[in-house]
Amino acid sequence: MKMITLKNLVHDYITRDDEGNAVGSKRAVNDVSLDVEPGQFIAILGHNGSGKSTLAKHLNALLYPTEGEVWLDGMNTKAEEHLWDIRQEAGMIFQNPDNQIIGQVVEEDVGFGPENMGVPTKEIWERVEESLKAVGMWEYRKKSPNRLSGGQKQRVSIAGVIAMHPKCIIMDEPTAMLDPNGRKDVIRAARALNDVERITIILITHYMEEAIYADKIFVMDKGKIALQGSPEEIFSHVEEMKKLHLDVPQVTLLAHELHKKGVKVPEGILTKEELAKALPDAASLSEKEQAKTDPGKASDSDFEENSKTQSAENGSGEAADQSGLRIEDISFEYERGTAMSVNALDHISLTIPENQFIGLIGHTGSGKSTFVQMLNGLLKPTEGSIYYNGQNIHADNYDRKNLRSEVGLVFQYPEHQLFETDVISDVMFGPRNLGLPEEECRSRALQALQQVGLQEQFYTQSPFDLSGGQKRRAAIAGVLAMHPRILILDEPTAGLDPRGRDEILDLISRMHKELKITVVLVSHSMEDVAKYVDRILVMDHGRIRYDDIPVRVFSHIAELEEMGLAAPQMTYIMQYLHQKGYPVNTNILTVEEGVREILKAV
Amino acid sequence: MFKEITLGQYYQTDSVLHRLDPRVKLIATFAYIIALFIVDNFWGYAVAAVFLILCIRLSNVPFRYIVRGMKGILMILMITVIFNLFLTPGETLVQVWKLRITREGVVFAVKMAVRLSFLILGSSLMTLTTTPNQLTDALESVMNPLKKLHVPVHEIAMMMSIALRFIPILMEETDKIMKAQIARGADFESKDLMKKIRSLVPLLVPLFISAFRRANDLAMAMEARCYRGGDGRTRMKPLVYTAKDRIAYSVVICFFLLCILTRVLL
Repeated sequence: MKMITLKNLVHDYITRDDEGNAVGSKRAVNDVSLDVEPGQFIAILGHNGSGKSTLAKHLNALLYPTEGEVWLDGMNTKAEEHLWDIRQEAGMIFQNPDNQIIGQVVEEDVGFGPENMGVPTKEIWERVEESLKAVGMWEYRKKSPNRLSGGQKQRVSIAGVIAMHPKCIIMDEPTAMLDPNGRKDVIRAARALNDVERITIILITHYMEEAIYADKIFVMDKGKIALQGSPEEIFSHVEEMKKLHLDVPQVTLLAHELHKKGVKVPEGILTKEELAKALPDAASLSEKEQAKTDPGKASDSDFEENSKTQSAENGSGEAADQSGLRIEDISFEYERGTAMSVNALDHISLTIPENQFIGLIGHTGSGKSTFVQMLNGLLKPTEGSIYYNGQNIHADNYDRKNLRSEVGLVFQYPEHQLFETDVISDVMFGPRNLGLPEEECRSRALQALQQVGLQEQFYTQSPFDLSGGQKRRAAIAGVLAMHPRILILDEPTAGLDPRGRDEILDLISRMHKELKITVVLVSHSMEDVAKYVDRILVMDHGRIRYDDIPVRVFSHIAELEEMGLAAPQMTYIMQYLHQKGYPVNTNILTVEEGVREILKAV
Repeated sequence: MFKEITLGQYYQTDSVLHRLDPRVKLIATFAYIIALFIVDNFWGYAVAAVFLILCIRLSNVPFRYIVRGMKGILMILMITVIFNLFLTPGETLVQVWKLRITREGVVFAVKMAVRLSFLILGSSLMTLTTTPNQLTDALESVMNPLKKLHVPVHEIAMMMSIALRFIPILMEETDKIMKAQIARGADFESKDLMKKIRSLVPLLVPLFISAFRRANDLAMAMEARCYRGGDGRTRMKPLVYTAKDRIAYSVVICFFLLCILTRVLL
């Protein structure tokens, strides 16, 4: 029997007026048919609004088909008598780790499902134990969920579903709000359940590196299935995936670009090992190369020189003028003087000059968020001082409101701070707080909205009616309208799909170039940081471990990994090729550089 | 900024009190509060104090931790004492201008202060040793007879436990939104009352929207996990009385009787 069968599934969202009359409808899923075999690992890809989540909610009867049928393990989801069997057999994991945990203690949350099913007490305990052990969270069973990291919370949620003994788990972007390490843990848990327990997994995701483990991938677009097949098949359609605003893994993209340049590698390569096998034999190459110079050495000196000029530039900037932020030996302790005191920042000194693009990386809890809140005076260091344009920002008569307009801070998920009735008023909130005349506020707001590329038709709409990406842009405009000279963005791409991510990053990079403002980008994505910034700060345990240009920082792979970080995927690929004897430089951060380097070698 | 509130927050450790059935603790606390208002002389207070100290010792919660939680309500305590001190009529002890301190006032103020602090210490000892979840379970069980009167006991208990789970999350969120709006130049420290009220809009609107979004998500997650109300549910941690609970009940009854005796006999 098939695990899941969709027959011509159609779903319309119906909008109703206040009296409950239907006034409009939007087709979210349009005539989808598919089969899933028991024990399969399925990935569903698609940009936001492509109908993935709606589809997922049909699989355990949270939504019912407008047309067509959904069968789960031989049960029609429309049949009311099977409702609870369906929900027990098809467990569901949602995106937000906080909003799906009911219990106040980990073990109680895991027991919630079995309690609802009426499982006897003794068996609940057995199930809780086996489920928590299956996701590696047994040691945390007595903890409060609020004390766990996002990845741990998601694993607790998975345990909560396993305790119901499902045949199938549907995961709706379970990793979208997690940091890279949390993401890895969740995916590892999902794969283990699939391998060991033979539980069918339906994984909806924006991260292509998670999809490569799937037995089969469905790509959705406009409510329909646009592509389906094995990961190799799907990712060999690089151009089509790009058209659907989706990514492919970097190694796949690299192979694709090489293929286009005439190198004989097949499409649809998913791992660096496959790439190494597909490339012309290393041994034959190195002979040719030996005749020239030793490549490793040449590139090393190359890179030394490069970084020297760069750091020299930094140095001269500091000495010459006072503009920008100067941070002098700051430390910060939460709950100072109590037993719970935590040293969040530990003697940090650095300068943030004008017109620089800085990346700030560090694992969760390394002090990044605390640090950026220091920069506009939201938090006051317990020791040390911060100067903006030569003035101490914590001096008694210092105008901190003005500082906050000069040093703009965009928090994580900035769309959660929108509150006005229309977009333009919301953007005007900042300028109004500065006490500017109404006309000036409006013109600044219009300008900011244009800068973030939001079309005029949205200006008078409620911010809550916008799509996720648009909301975020409106929120960023709200900070831009204050005309900051330094703009700090705390994970501005969190939770967005690949297209939204690229748009926001391009937008930030354009603002840096056109408005000549300094940007501090806090990010978990090494690929994004490598692509855009010209200086990286690495934080670990409240200290700045590295402050350098990207190539230099990413040459410390071992140290970065020790801090729970990583190098960009391309660096790993090039390192692997180097190990296999290919004469390539390993200081490569982006796909374009990688293509150039490999072309040079082969 | 909200993280300092420690009054009555569950303190994780192992003790006899922690292991007691939450219903015992709930009913005992109730009895203790009534007893505090029954006793009226030195011996009565002494009994109440000894009982409280014994319980605190049994709970393994550091005394300093409990007292630190009381800081927040020190103000209320002071105001009560001062009012009683100055406004009770009777035999004058000290008089400064129009303010009179009377003998009755002193006695009454001291009694009031002792009563209130015992009451707060006693009830926070309950919440310190009982997880909010156990407490809601206990409430559900104790209030169960009300079901016959069509009081939705299970639903109320579920609501309480969800509220307790989300309070820290919403507190954190408030802090975050506040900071985000301050970063946009908002002023939450204005002295002007009208301005102050208006400044709350950019805080409360996002907070409400977030709370609704979370409620929506949570409802869906609960449904997906087969939640369908209280009927047919089993319990992972059913409340079962054991020998130690029966002993605890007898101790509480003895204490209660003793309190009545001090009032009647002395």
